[in-house]
Amino acid sequence: MRGAGSLDETWRRALYAFAAAVLLFALGAVVRPGFVRPDSILAVLTVAVFVGLVAAGQTFVILIGGIDLSVPWVLNAAAILLATSSGGSDARAFSALLLTLGMGAAVGAVNGLGIAFLGVPAVVMTLAMNGIMEGLTLGLSGGMTCASCASYAPPAIQALAHGVFLFLPTALWLWLAVIAIVSFILGATVFGRATYAIGTNLRASELAGLRVRATIIGLYALSGLAAALAGIMLVGFGGQASLGMGEPFLFQSIAAVVIGGASILGGRGHYLGSVAGAICLVALISVLLAMNMAEYGRSIIYGVIILVLLLLYGRESRES
Amino acid sequence: MPPRAARRSLLAHAIARNIGLVLVIFLLVFSIFLYGLIYGLTEGRLPGGFELTSTVNNTMPLVLAAMAQTLVVLTRGLDLSVGGVVDLANALGAISLGATPARMALASAFILLAGAGLGLVNGILVAYGRLQPILVTLATLSIYQGLAIRILPQPGGAVPEGYTALLTNPSVPAALLYVVLLGLFWTAFRRSQAGIAIIAIGNDEGAAAANGINPLRAKLLAYTLSGFFAAAAGLFLVATATAGDATTGNGYTLTSIVAVVLGGVSLFGGRGSAIGAMLGAFVTTMIVNILFFAHIDPLYQSFYEGAFLVIAVVLAEGLGRFVRKRR
Amino acid sequence: MSAAPSLEAITASKAYGGVQALDNASFSALPGEVHALVGENGAGKSTLIKVLGGRVRPDSGTIRIDGAKVVHGGPNDAHLLGCWTVFQELTLLPWMSVAENLLLRREPRNALGLTSPRRLVAAAGRVLEKFGITEIDPRALIEDLPLAARQVIEIVRALSHEPRILLLDEPTSALMERETAWLFAQIRRLRATGTTIVFTSHRWHEVETIADRITVFRGGRDVGSFTTLAEEEAVTLMTGQRVETFYPPLPAAPSARADAMLSVADLAGGRLAGVSFTLHQGEILGVGGLAGHGHRELFLMLFGAERPHAGRILLRGREVRLRSPRGAIRNGIALVPEDRKTEGLLLPLSVRDNLTLAVLDRLSRFGVIGRAAERAQAARLMARLAVRAPNAAIPVGTLSGGNQQKVLLGRWLLADCPILLFYDVTRGVDVATKHEIYELMMELARSGSAILFYSSDALELAHLAHRVLVLREGRIAAELPALDLTAEQIVAAAMRERLAA
Repeated sequence: MRGAGSLDETWRRALYAFAAAVLLFALGAVVRPGFVRPDSILAVLTVAVFVGLVAAGQTFVILIGGIDLSVPWVLNAAAILLATSSGGSDARAFSALLLTLGMGAAVGAVNGLGIAFLGVPAVVMTLAMNGIMEGLTLGLSGGMTCASCASYAPPAIQALAHGVFLFLPTALWLWLAVIAIVSFILGATVFGRATYAIGTNLRASELAGLRVRATIIGLYALSGLAAALAGIMLVGFGGQASLGMGEPFLFQSIAAVVIGGASILGGRGHYLGSVAGAICLVALISVLLAMNMAEYGRSIIYGVIILVLLLLYGRESRES
Repeated sequence: MPPRAARRSLLAHAIARNIGLVLVIFLLVFSIFLYGLIYGLTEGRLPGGFELTSTVNNTMPLVLAAMAQTLVVLTRGLDLSVGGVVDLANALGAISLGATPARMALASAFILLAGAGLGLVNGILVAYGRLQPILVTLATLSIYQGLAIRILPQPGGAVPEGYTALLTNPSVPAALLYVVLLGLFWTAFRRSQAGIAIIAIGNDEGAAAANGINPLRAKLLAYTLSGFFAAAAGLFLVATATAGDATTGNGYTLTSIVAVVLGGVSLFGGRGSAIGAMLGAFVTTMIVNILFFAHIDPLYQSFYEGAFLVIAVVLAEGLGRFVRKRR
Repeated sequence: MSAAPSLEAITASKAYGGVQALDNASFSALPGEVHALVGENGAGKSTLIKVLGGRVRPDSGTIRIDGAKVVHGGPNDAHLLGCWTVFQELTLLPWMSVAENLLLRREPRNALGLTSPRRLVAAAGRVLEKFGITEIDPRALIEDLPLAARQVIEIVRALSHEPRILLLDEPTSALMERETAWLFAQIRRLRATGTTIVFTSHRWHEVETIADRITVFRGGRDVGSFTTLAEEEAVTLMTGQRVETFYPPLPAAPSARADAMLSVADLAGGRLAGVSFTLHQGEILGVGGLAGHGHRELFLMLFGAERPHAGRILLRGREVRLRSPRGAIRNGIALVPEDRKTEGLLLPLSVRDNLTLAVLDRLSRFGVIGRAAERAQAARLMARLAVRAPNAAIPVGTLSGGNQQKVLLGRWLLADCPILLFYDVTRGVDVATKHEIYELMMELARSGSAILFYSSDALELAHLAHRVLVLREGRIAAELPALDLTAEQIVAAAMRERLAA
């Protein structure tokens, strides 16, 4: 262990991720000159919001050495719930918003309960929850055949996803707010300190008198909340909900957190790193799309780039 | 000679050590019973040879994927690329299995070797790259899936009937033989130097190294074998489907983890048996069968599977704790 | 000293990050010699053992075995030369059986190269029997064994290789008298056959009992080798300063009318079979006895970290139910746990974070930590306990063992808990820090705290406690008053049953 301290190390990794994002934009400029025009950069960043929001939740749980595999169908359920419960009307938009966010947080809290109180490994609990949410979503919507399933997101929500405010897309403003809130929670509160402590050593945290179980439940609830928020933004962006819309976000959110320098084993990482990771991933996909790369090629290069980034700075220190 | 008190607890020892195995056997018996009951009620007769054969045939890919996943999980890793290797083997099988037996054998051998090679790549990245297994295989999953789609962009290709008959004969339970062979393989492997080394590094890598075990070599072997068995799963899948599809294997990443967990293999490494994981694969299939014959809306299938998984794990945890306390 | 050394390290150096663990250290041991390595924590003893045993490659320097230069590529190379090590942090595999561990990589095999559980257990049984171990079942999982039994297995494994060179790193720290006596008998037997034995220990009487030669380490270097050495001299060499009186004077025992801070009635659960006692204000109540007789359970139950099956806990006469460590802390109870590295400290986090962990609620408003208050509190504690650290922001894991323990003690001082549970608080702590901890305990007792103090070192209990409860088979076997209490009395009470049997 270096005397310099693990925190500095983590920040350095986050910086690398930002550097990688800049590099990818530069690469995009080479491939297609228009790639680095302000509006197209903003477009890439706006797409990164969705991954970034999910990655916020994933950051919370990865910091305690956990993982949230229930993201795809919590997100999907949230998107459908928002559309169906609002019926596309602004009048019911706010209550639908609260209902949807509440659903996400509640599902996440159930994950946390199973992990903290029943001792189910996080991989198993959240994997099962993903199945449960998939079954419920499909079943209750009759496989998206229900009358209200075709509803559009309320115009207000669509405006939130598409609008512009003070030169920036509103979606980006929302993300900036989430970044500030998440960083504050992790950096300045008792809850955040407990998160890092639990991720470092659960038993020692318990014996130091921290609220270990409550913190775990809270973290998974936040992850569910983040996935629901991403679902809301996504349905606002696309107008309508569809089945399977959450699938790409599982591996992308994990990859974003890890590229951002967090340790998958917990105890180390920052949300700003995950933000950089999300931008990296979306920039990469955009560059590949700009190159007219076929799907298989994108998939391969995507994997290779993640490996290269991991090999550059994601390696575990050698056992001494 | 151990003293008397210790000898009396022989059974308790055995149960406590294999609590996961005991539980998965219980789950399997229970689910078969339930299946028989529901089948009898709805069909008016008991399930027979055909049901047995088709169940085993349909489960074979998952059995092999579970074996693949177990080997990596025992080293305290997780192999998310299982689905990608299954896809790749599936795609390769669809384009390369010719009509003659020699061609089929050659192609199969090549595909199995290719799978082992892909596993080896994972192993090298994990062992020498000092990267977390879950991250390495997350990345290689994407790469392997991409390669599979490149090889077989659209579902298709043809699998010769003889091949299907050999691996998954619909009228003879030949696959049962493969299951037994896999069980024997595991039993022997668990008692070999290589098998012991893999379990040992899953227990405690540092301690195993201090005892002269080479952790890098053990990991390379575990991942290579994992790739081999995942490719075998792909071959069985293409044989059952009689045509290739480069995406049907995706699901095996997560279902193999489910089978491993149901089979009592610890996700923290070093504990568990591939036999348990293979039985876990059968439990998974039985649940699907039960839901089917109980005429549960297929839309709700994932719901019941998820709920069942949580209940089974909580039950295992509780039972394990109970047995431990009793001793 | 006519014989040529069988094992030598010549100007060996090894650095971990910025810390120079071994600094041009030299060492040599003769065949048929029991050679003790002594020194404070962080003096480089463990690193030297690891270097000699092939576990760690030195940055520079030479290792010689029987005069020939060797370069260990790993433990295997050392094993081939007949050099086996018992590591301080045991190297057993927790979810494998005793038999699998004992015979790892030399399992009895059939023609196909496969082993069988039955043959394995039989062979392991023979090994255990050969070394006179009868009470450990070869089928038991390591995880289910108490620490002392694990230590014995680790020792038996090394012995069973019939080593020519045996390296033992703190083999007795988890052992009680009887197992230690067994180990010493084994050491004497090996010595008679010409084996070189190197061992480290923090217990001076053990060094005196068994060592033919003593090498003292300080700051990663050897500072002298002796065939005879008095304890005071050794301490002087180890610390580089003279320690006058080792045990500070005990404050007067509280009168019988002093307030009862903590009372326990018929507490039972796990290995604990029903224990009753009262801890008074200003009292240091010692708890002694052999490991695995319920001490750990007692301390964890009093801290709410384990649930009792039966019995009552009273705080100042009022019955309480402790459901969690958090609840215990709120009731003014603090625990310094057995293993500071896995149960106490968060090693990668900063000294400051570790110090304030238990009082974050007090330092925060609406869940937001007050940075200034936190800094001030941490600085105050670091000054009070003289924690030697460059600053409060460095990871606590980079500090020496003694300073780590001070940080852990500081956490509970900050929490102002009047009832302190100290579980083997001086274990693996260097002499100078031990002394500081003793002084701190006296100061705390004088100022009205009540301390429940378990120690694996009977001498410590005899000098530092007002009374000593000896636990045996989960019950209080004896309550010994402080007056003229000797370590031998404590040990005798702990072992009475076994001696009779």
